[in-house]
Amino acid sequence: MLETEQLTKKFKDTIAVDDVSLVLRQGESVGLLGPNGAGKSTAIAMISTLMKPSSGDVRLNGESVLKKPGDMRRVLGVVPQKIALYEELSAYENLKFFGRLYGLSGKKLEQRIDYVVELVGLADRKKELVKNYSGGMQRRINLAAAMMHEPEVLIMDEPTVGIDPQSRNHLLETIRKLNREEGMTVLYTSHYMEEVEKLCDRVYIMDHGKVIAEGTKEELKAILSDQETVLIDFDQNYPELFAKLSEIEGVQHAAAEEHSLKLIIPKGTRLLAALFHEAERYGAQVVNVNVQTPTLEDVFLRLTGRKLRD
Amino acid sequence: MGAFLIKDIMLLLRDRSELLILLAMPFLLIAILGFSLRGIFSGDLEALEMDIALVSQGDEAQAVASLQNEIEEMGLPPGETQALKQAAESASPQTMLVSLLEDESLSELVTIERMSRAEAQESLDEETVDAVITLPQGFTEDSLRNMLFGESKSGELELLVADLSSPQTDVLKSILNEFVRTVNFEASISRLSGQQSATEVSGGIETITARQPITSFQYYTIGMAVMFVLFVGSTIARQANLEQKQMVFDRIRLSNRPPLLYLSSKAIAAAAIVSVQLILLFGLSALLFQTFAADSWAFWSGIAIISIVLALSVGCLAALMVAITLRLESDAVPAIFSGGVISLMAFVGGSFMPLDGMPELLRAIGNWTPNGAALSAYFSWLLEPELSQLAGPLLRIAAVAVIFLLLALAIFPRKGGAA
Repeated sequence: MLETEQLTKKFKDTIAVDDVSLVLRQGESVGLLGPNGAGKSTAIAMISTLMKPSSGDVRLNGESVLKKPGDMRRVLGVVPQKIALYEELSAYENLKFFGRLYGLSGKKLEQRIDYVVELVGLADRKKELVKNYSGGMQRRINLAAAMMHEPEVLIMDEPTVGIDPQSRNHLLETIRKLNREEGMTVLYTSHYMEEVEKLCDRVYIMDHGKVIAEGTKEELKAILSDQETVLIDFDQNYPELFAKLSEIEGVQHAAAEEHSLKLIIPKGTRLLAALFHEAERYGAQVVNVNVQTPTLEDVFLRLTGRKLRD
Repeated sequence: MGAFLIKDIMLLLRDRSELLILLAMPFLLIAILGFSLRGIFSGDLEALEMDIALVSQGDEAQAVASLQNEIEEMGLPPGETQALKQAAESASPQTMLVSLLEDESLSELVTIERMSRAEAQESLDEETVDAVITLPQGFTEDSLRNMLFGESKSGELELLVADLSSPQTDVLKSILNEFVRTVNFEASISRLSGQQSATEVSGGIETITARQPITSFQYYTIGMAVMFVLFVGSTIARQANLEQKQMVFDRIRLSNRPPLLYLSSKAIAAAAIVSVQLILLFGLSALLFQTFAADSWAFWSGIAIISIVLALSVGCLAALMVAITLRLESDAVPAIFSGGVISLMAFVGGSFMPLDGMPELLRAIGNWTPNGAALSAYFSWLLEPELSQLAGPLLRIAAVAVIFLLLALAIFPRKGGAA
């Protein structure tokens, strides 16, 4: 349905997006996973026809949209990372304005507003000014505004940044419902691995402007099929000990986070003896050792040597 | 277009700080400046100075000679005849009036110049004189007859002033009253010396016409209005910048509406806001300060025509500022415009003080600013409600508006996206 071909965007000396090719099939939910600055938002801006690529193409049903963005814009609902709403207007007034821009009027407009505010769970608060909403409620209306013209494809750029868990769950459930129950095609970008894992059938992993891996969640995790992830919790942070453990023979990747250390090691590696020996040397107390099945986060760590939120 | 307009006006109505700048502040300044600088326009000593044109339509010498012949033929005793003939010569009211006006005590206030009727009228229109005193045909003869023979018909002066209620007019009236008292006194002496029965006589002062000059409230209502409408341009541009920053502008672009619709809606919203702003400022000023005495439809129609042209011009200015703001992706332009350029434009446009004493170049620049040209148009209309007077300033406003619009169209980022 929608595809990009060797999409590239250069800003003076920087290549923000480098030769990115994506495919979205009808009814699919596709994740674009990568850390901040990976080039996801730039890629989204080009796909949504808001930014002209330096090279490459964006196609909708086989037709390039670069010369005729109108066709693409009609089927796209874009949820930007920022709250693209008028804060001094109420949710209802915002939705009415955007609805009218899409040619809706009268009863049809009112019905559509009712539908989208119901969808995002804010029907009873639609008359309140957007500036008085919590961050999570603002993000929900941000999604509602993108849904006003009944788009076929929903493109979401980090839609859950900085919101409370309740709103986050509500938003994720809404997106899942749109995709699973209403067959809407979704392109979801995030640096939250668990969101992408929860929502998406297929995932593209981006770093430094390039797609470094792609496939279904299972296919990606298979990259780590001969490896396992060990998460060790300590009583406190031991930077020197963590550095030492990262150098243990067999450890392929290590990532420290506060009191914890995550190690990716080949299956069958004997780690525990060395771990406890070093912990004792540094006077550290091991609180918990957990061998996990690999996550997309682990895949990213394995592919880039960095964590998604670095 | 309607959706854009409603949205822009709703946003403005909910922005208290902008409303304060656009409505409350100019109104406050009108009140403060109108009251505090009232003297500059109509009350202080400098303002009492006046240039007077004296128009004499009769021949004084001939009138005196004619009267002397008549006295000769009256068959009075030689002594009386001689006394009356001397009185006729020495009591000429025109000579007395000129002597009075040229008296040393009035020389600092009054400058008098003899002119023909046409020259005097032209000078009054051009405001090079403040009043015209006309001694009509037969004035000398009628006055002398009244003085010497007590005939009921007295000579009547014609006084034409620029402003009936100004302190200058009051001073001039006092001078002429003094003149009348002098004439009466002379008449009494003459009659006594001529042993005529004493009948009270007086000269007459007839005011034919009054042309109102600009009052301080009129000046500052118009001055502040034409200045503060310019803030609408920066308000609209700031709003566009916010829309761009918050990506609402991108959402609008994604709706597939023609980009120029956005720009034209901004221009029209600005023009609509300016119209409301002018209606409120002029209306409130007229209501609370009785700024505009003229309440005829013709007068207000002229004000409306000027206001509409000004509003459209500010609309074009707003479009230009929106185009620059979106192109630069920065609110620097509206910030600089509202922070300094508007004050500069208001100064050269004459919003703060009349530009009479300013260098010619500054006045020329001011005349080509939308606010300066509008100020000039409003004042012309106040002084002389002739549509022909408005053509010049309105054409200047329109020309500048077209330039703003063409620049806006050239700068506005119509593409930027895939297309």
